[in-house]
Amino acid sequence: MSRLVPQFAVLCGGAARLLLAIAGAGLVVMTLVIGWQIFGRYALNDTPHWSERLSVYLMLYYIMFGAAVGVRDKIHIGLVFLHDLLPRRGRIVLDLFSNLLVGAFGAALGWYGLEIALRTWNQTIPTLGIPTGTSYLAFPIAGAAIVLFSLEHILRSLAGQEVKRGWS
Amino acid sequence: MELVILFGTFVVLLVIGVPVAFTLGIASMATIIYMDFPPSVLVQRMSAGMNVFSLLAIPMFIYAGELMLHGGIAERLIRFATAALGHVRGGLGLVNVASSVMFGGISGSAVADVSALGSVLIPKMKENGYDADYAVNVTTTSATIGLIIPPSHNLILFSIAAGGTVSVSSLFLAGILPGLLVGLCLMVVTYLIAVKRGYARGRFPGLAVVAATFIVALPGLITAVIIVGGVRLGVFTPTEASVIAVLYAMLITLVVYRSLTWSAFVTATLNAVKTTSMVLLVIGAAMSFGWLLAINQVPAALFALLSNISDNRIVIFLMINLILLFLGTFMDMAPLIMITTPIFLPVMVHFGMDPVQFGIMLIMNLGLGLVTPPVGSVLFVGCAVGKVRIEETLRTVWPFYAAHVAALMLVTYVPQIALFIPSVIG
Repeated sequence: MSRLVPQFAVLCGGAARLLLAIAGAGLVVMTLVIGWQIFGRYALNDTPHWSERLSVYLMLYYIMFGAAVGVRDKIHIGLVFLHDLLPRRGRIVLDLFSNLLVGAFGAALGWYGLEIALRTWNQTIPTLGIPTGTSYLAFPIAGAAIVLFSLEHILRSLAGQEVKRGWS
Repeated sequence: MELVILFGTFVVLLVIGVPVAFTLGIASMATIIYMDFPPSVLVQRMSAGMNVFSLLAIPMFIYAGELMLHGGIAERLIRFATAALGHVRGGLGLVNVASSVMFGGISGSAVADVSALGSVLIPKMKENGYDADYAVNVTTTSATIGLIIPPSHNLILFSIAAGGTVSVSSLFLAGILPGLLVGLCLMVVTYLIAVKRGYARGRFPGLAVVAATFIVALPGLITAVIIVGGVRLGVFTPTEASVIAVLYAMLITLVVYRSLTWSAFVTATLNAVKTTSMVLLVIGAAMSFGWLLAINQVPAALFALLSNISDNRIVIFLMINLILLFLGTFMDMAPLIMITTPIFLPVMVHFGMDPVQFGIMLIMNLGLGLVTPPVGSVLFVGCAVGKVRIEETLRTVWPFYAAHVAALMLVTYVPQIALFIPSVIG
């Protein structure tokens, strides 16, 4: 297992950087889209009708991708007082359990997100003209990443290591 | 039984340290399965909760704050405040509070405020003979002022949680006086403790320097004016205003100050992504949690319970303040806004409080929760920046807490403080 962990960590690090880069680009694009909406209304006298829908569409991907990276970088807020009270062994058990739950929830988000994506694939988002299902795809992608990142934390804490942040 | 599962799972997972967003999600999932709904309802509820255009204001306002921060606005505000107030006894403490008030008009994030102002001011205060506990306490307790001074993305969140019935522009205007009031109360405490401990005073640099530093700080300072003015006059919606804030921040830091490098821009962007996506996931999960509370009629039950205890508005207001303060000590702001608003807003309105006033009161309560243990993100960051143990700051923080509570009581029982400006301009 100890030989597998480094390669797995490279995979996870790459996935985290990719998701974060996409989310960061999404933030800039959302800014530009709404900026264009305001510009269109005042300068061109023609408010684009797709801009709000598009930015909300992007926002779902933005949230899910960023939040998945947050699992790897451990920036999600939680209570730590019990964790801090316990001896080292207890902490490892608690971390394992917590990562297991986070991973399981990621799997559930992914699975049921995929189910909805498939179910709504034939519907179309009115102003954008693309399948409604595509917006739910954010869940299986982010869900898979959350499973991956929780697994990395589990393997690492079994090997007695810490996960290095991908991009701090 | 549904509620036992919902709250039981929630509390257990929270205590063992599962992150809040996942705690809310897993508790909702367990309840949804118990109630025989298809589990995909959870994903639907979450995505419906996150597919709200006004939510976009949250990443945008935080992004604008990050850009301003990495573009060096905080230092310019501090230079101006130091020139104006540094010569008073305990002047750096007052500079700290005043900088928080000004920074509040740029960023609505208390954590950003602590790390931006604290990293400059806490070392500076220590160098000038101030005790570390005092420096950290002034910084952390004043950092929450930005939560109610516009632009405040938390007030937008309140407006969403209230079902869009409370206007964001009224909330923005309503936050101004309470924000200044908290600043004033903190300044009094800051000054009195400085006198008691005999802290030094600086030299007055002359009016010319005050004016010069003011002009340099001005582009940052007028951010709030542009946003509140633009929203009030109907030039743009609050959500659009948040994008204007980002574009304005880019303009100032790239063109006017020329202080934002490419790598600082990338750092600011990625920081914004990480903090806001986390907050937004919490909001999405809190939406599904709140939906389960609603279909199990928790708001109505609580309403009946509270009305049974007392029909005196003074008592009810006090009780709700205490509940919010208690919840705030261990829970974070965003999920509490989403969950407590639909529960308490109808009660407060029934007892005669204006929804706008309640919004300000709610944020003040939860803001104080950010500087109180066991969980207080602002307290943690402040202690980390100041390299002080939390226990050390807690021994001397009480007068600062008292200043907050005094301001909170005034805002709760004197409606005009929150409602005066919206009633005049609105």
